[in-house]
Amino acid sequence: MTATRFHTPATLDEALGLLDEHGDDARLFAGGTAMVTLMKQSLLAADHLVSLQRVPGLEGVRLEADGLHIGALTRHRDVETSDLVRVYAPLLAHVYSRVATVRIRNAATVGGGLAHADPAQDPPAALIALDARVRIASRRSVRELPVEELFVDYYETALAPGEAITELIVPRQPADAGAVYLKFLPRTEDDYATVAVAALARIVDGRAHGVRVALIAAGPTPVRATVVERALEGAPITAEAVRRAAEAVVDAVDPLDDFRGSAGYKRDMAVVFTRRALERALGLSPA
Amino acid sequence: MHLTVNGNPHDIDVPAGRTLVDLLRDDLGLTGTKEACSVGVCGACTVLVDGRMVASCIMLAAQVDGAEIVTIEGVADGELLHPLQRAFVEAGGLQCGICTPGQIVAAKALLDANPAPTEDEIADWMMGNLCRCTGYYQIREAILEAARVSGRAR
Amino acid sequence: MVDYHAIGTPTPRVDGVEKVTGRALYAGDRRLPGMLTGRLLHSHRPHARIVRIDTSAARALPGVHAVITGDDVRGHLYGRRIKDMPVLADGLVRYFGERVAAVAAEDEETARRAVDLIEVEYEDLPAVFDVVDAIAPGAPLLHPAFGTYPGTQPLDVPSNAYDHTVTERGDFDGAFAEADFVFERTFSTQRMHQAYLEPHTSLVSVTDGRAHIWTNTKAPHSIREVLTVTLGLAPEQIVLHHSHIGGDFGGKGTPLDLPIAYFLAQASGRPVRMVADYVEEFMAGNPRHATLTRFRTAVMRDGTITAHHVEYFVNSGAYAAYKPGGRIGGATRAAGPYRIPNTRIESIHVYTNSVPGGHMRAPGGPQGVFALESHLDAIARELDIDPLEFRMHNLIAEGDEPASGDQITRPRVRETLQAAADAAGYRDAKALHVGRGMAIGDHGAGGGVGNAEVTIHPDGAVTLGTAIFDQGSGTYTTLAQVVAEELGVPVDRIRFEIWDTDGTGGEDDSGIGGSRATRVNTVAAHAAAQDARTALTRVLAAQLGVAEADVALRGPDVLTPGGEPHTWAAILAEVGRSVTGRSHVDERGPTHMTGFAAQIAEVAVDPETGQVTVLKITSAHDVGRVLNPIGHQGQINGGVIQGLGYALMEELTFADGQVTSLSFGDYKIPTMRDVPQLTTVLLEPDNGIGPYQIKGIGETPNTPVAAAIANAIADAVGIRISDLPITAEKVYRALQNRGAAAQ
Repeated sequence: MTATRFHTPATLDEALGLLDEHGDDARLFAGGTAMVTLMKQSLLAADHLVSLQRVPGLEGVRLEADGLHIGALTRHRDVETSDLVRVYAPLLAHVYSRVATVRIRNAATVGGGLAHADPAQDPPAALIALDARVRIASRRSVRELPVEELFVDYYETALAPGEAITELIVPRQPADAGAVYLKFLPRTEDDYATVAVAALARIVDGRAHGVRVALIAAGPTPVRATVVERALEGAPITAEAVRRAAEAVVDAVDPLDDFRGSAGYKRDMAVVFTRRALERALGLSPA
Repeated sequence: MHLTVNGNPHDIDVPAGRTLVDLLRDDLGLTGTKEACSVGVCGACTVLVDGRMVASCIMLAAQVDGAEIVTIEGVADGELLHPLQRAFVEAGGLQCGICTPGQIVAAKALLDANPAPTEDEIADWMMGNLCRCTGYYQIREAILEAARVSGRAR
Repeated sequence: MVDYHAIGTPTPRVDGVEKVTGRALYAGDRRLPGMLTGRLLHSHRPHARIVRIDTSAARALPGVHAVITGDDVRGHLYGRRIKDMPVLADGLVRYFGERVAAVAAEDEETARRAVDLIEVEYEDLPAVFDVVDAIAPGAPLLHPAFGTYPGTQPLDVPSNAYDHTVTERGDFDGAFAEADFVFERTFSTQRMHQAYLEPHTSLVSVTDGRAHIWTNTKAPHSIREVLTVTLGLAPEQIVLHHSHIGGDFGGKGTPLDLPIAYFLAQASGRPVRMVADYVEEFMAGNPRHATLTRFRTAVMRDGTITAHHVEYFVNSGAYAAYKPGGRIGGATRAAGPYRIPNTRIESIHVYTNSVPGGHMRAPGGPQGVFALESHLDAIARELDIDPLEFRMHNLIAEGDEPASGDQITRPRVRETLQAAADAAGYRDAKALHVGRGMAIGDHGAGGGVGNAEVTIHPDGAVTLGTAIFDQGSGTYTTLAQVVAEELGVPVDRIRFEIWDTDGTGGEDDSGIGGSRATRVNTVAAHAAAQDARTALTRVLAAQLGVAEADVALRGPDVLTPGGEPHTWAAILAEVGRSVTGRSHVDERGPTHMTGFAAQIAEVAVDPETGQVTVLKITSAHDVGRVLNPIGHQGQINGGVIQGLGYALMEELTFADGQVTSLSFGDYKIPTMRDVPQLTTVLLEPDNGIGPYQIKGIGETPNTPVAAAIANAIADAVGIRISDLPITAEKVYRALQNRGAAAQ
């Protein structure tokens, strides 16, 4: 692995300063699971690794009026096992528990995972379905962005040079909503998904409300399937309505061929799993 | 940097790009930890950092500055084997042995967190430790047996 | 029934404690003073002439001690039998990943940087990847010089099909003319990596004119023999030292980078260690071969198979070098233990511009059996005969000659299959989209030569000297049991002395492979223990002042007529010297004993996605005496799960000749979460080989799995997948195509 300098700034400001100072030669470094792998494979090189490990206050989950605030350095495993997350966003706790293996979840951080922008990673499906936002800091500004808008292309985010994700803000999951995450793993349980779907919906007077559908591994970025949501929003809940709505997902996805299936197969599976996720979320089939 | 490995303190300078597995094997001579897949999938390089199991092949040494590390060499109490180590030998939970240090360290992390796991919980936890020899059945048996033995001892 | 105290008793591995404590040393754990790191430059073309290699920048890099290319090792050819592979590409690369140049440097980082500085200019040549294309007229010829390589004869007509054998029996054409039905089908199998978790490692130190080697090979004497040719050294100039081996499954019979490490050590004057990374393992290892099998089979209305034509094409890859026999079996497995009087079996090995294949667990067996057992199942279903009955009708009984041509004493294949069917509940009711399928495999234990030395020390300790490098299958433990048995001592009394290749005193030793370890080496250990007993008896007789014939050893006791019972350990302590027994056994001949395996898989298929969930596998085995039930069961468990990976997911994928599945993130093997319920049935032993009537178990559990799963899928949803692996997408497409055809 190429030689680098490993900086351990003591404050966020110092860390952001190092990013500014070294520009393209610097990379923010968190749990390392993705970055070290990429560096070992020579897919990424950085002279300056700016680690956040000494920066206080970036780790942990707390509940505020607008929802859960999850520090960017919080480990996947800590989100999965957090009582706050299990109570106020159970879908999110579940989805984090489906990422890779315990060993990876023990190291990988929430912010690092999002910044990595691997379209096969699980969390964005739930985060998009739950209307989560990320807080992004640079030396010049602090801004918030819906997770849905964070991903712009294959392994590419809307983060500008010098910016860092500092926090994730997740509105409380409606207590009366059905919430489901289905991850299609036809090979092994430790594989990336062939396709995966998060679905969230409430039933009000026999009609679907607040429908949210998001997919990962279904294109160059995680996607929100608004076509499906719109097709179902306010509609009477029938198997036929759900089937028709799920078929619309083909217009939202743009899968790539890989070891987990051809693009065509993934497109077909996106339909199947969107339908199944909605059926469960809406109580048409057992969870 | 400073770290503690199996209770022994070390002060050591390492290049920024050095992985934890290389630090353990090459700088500290602790070759019980193995590197196989090199991409965090197989679990052969599993060690505990402050009690949490991690993949030492995709963690930089610099990340564990100030941490307490436990490797396979630190699992036994001197010559007295850990119940997991004894159970792996007795149940046939190993053959070639290359994944075994990682399996045992991972299983130790499991039993530390959950002293009486179900078969399902064992599989969930251990699915990150690949084994090509055993088909896993005797590994699962060994972990169940070690949990039983430890449970009786408490 | 002989009463054994050690044989047959569940015995924990003798190397267990060192392995669970991390103390066991593998080749990659060895360090030598002054050791350099070797790294390779691999070809990035599938077939090309090397126009120019510029190593000057690499050589100039500080910390680099040697850079070698094909020019430095010209004429040094490697091969287990067919020596067709240059140590480094000699002006030509024949596959993507071929070793082109090598660097030895102070550390890994420097070596990698030096490799990146080597410039190679290629001139592309037409490449061919597929066996059918490779034997078509006008195909680019990979080895025009075939016939000049050591271990080869010129071909009558130059061809990529370097080995084409045909065996014909009976009135082949006549039987087809009279057949009620003729079934034709084609099956194919993929390349599979052995996926041992310890990558290939070679450490070489040249001192005093001798090459000292630490590598992960399970057949050190055979490899020394091969190296004499490749390195141009005398046998006594090469010594392979022991290290533990981190998994084999056939892949550790050919040390991939060892000759290169030797030449780097020569060039640098320093010890050199090369550890492959897993990208190199997937790109340029020695995987299980891809095959293509075409069948034509004649069947009568009552289900009797009368004639069978097998065309079994093996995609050798660019070289034959990694195959211990120059070819692999499998063609006869595609004929099987069936009573078919008229057969033509063709086995065709073909060079292509792809990674050379090597051995993996029952080489050729899973390929041939997948094809045959799928084909027979399909025939049974087309004839509307139950697949179990169809097999029972055609399987051999005592005295029948099988289509494979094997000679088999006491073939218990029907009993094995019936035992599997009974244990699996084959006839029980099934849920919708659940199916059961069966398959049969067998594998006779391989032969070879082996050595052992047993020393009984005055303090009662026993040392077993062996040339075996146990690759994980547990040979040391079974050998300890044998010696303990014959000397009447507990297993934990046995200490091991594992010899380097000097240790046999010049005798050859076949090492591990082809399920031979149990067969050959239990005989060797038994003979050495018996020899030690004889020597012990002689010493005891002299000490007790009685005739040797009057000394009886009963466990720890010595009995003499009318005398007080003593323990022999006490008497030997009085004598104060050790006694030694030695053996060199030759068990090279074929065995007519085979161990059948019959398996039934139960699967559920999701018709909307094609996903196959294996619910249960029942594995029945025709065994001899089981020496160590723990190790025996471990072989079955591991073999079945490798078979599951082969059936459903594992595949080296290619694009234009380049392996694309280059990590364990993309090349998936089963995890603990992916293993089904497994039920094992062992038949009551009633025959076997050697002093304990044993049979091999290392290979058969792996062989039928893929076919059993394929047949279960056919049973569940009525579709037949004829190319491995059976991915969900293939099942889904087949279901869709059937749906489309039905409309």
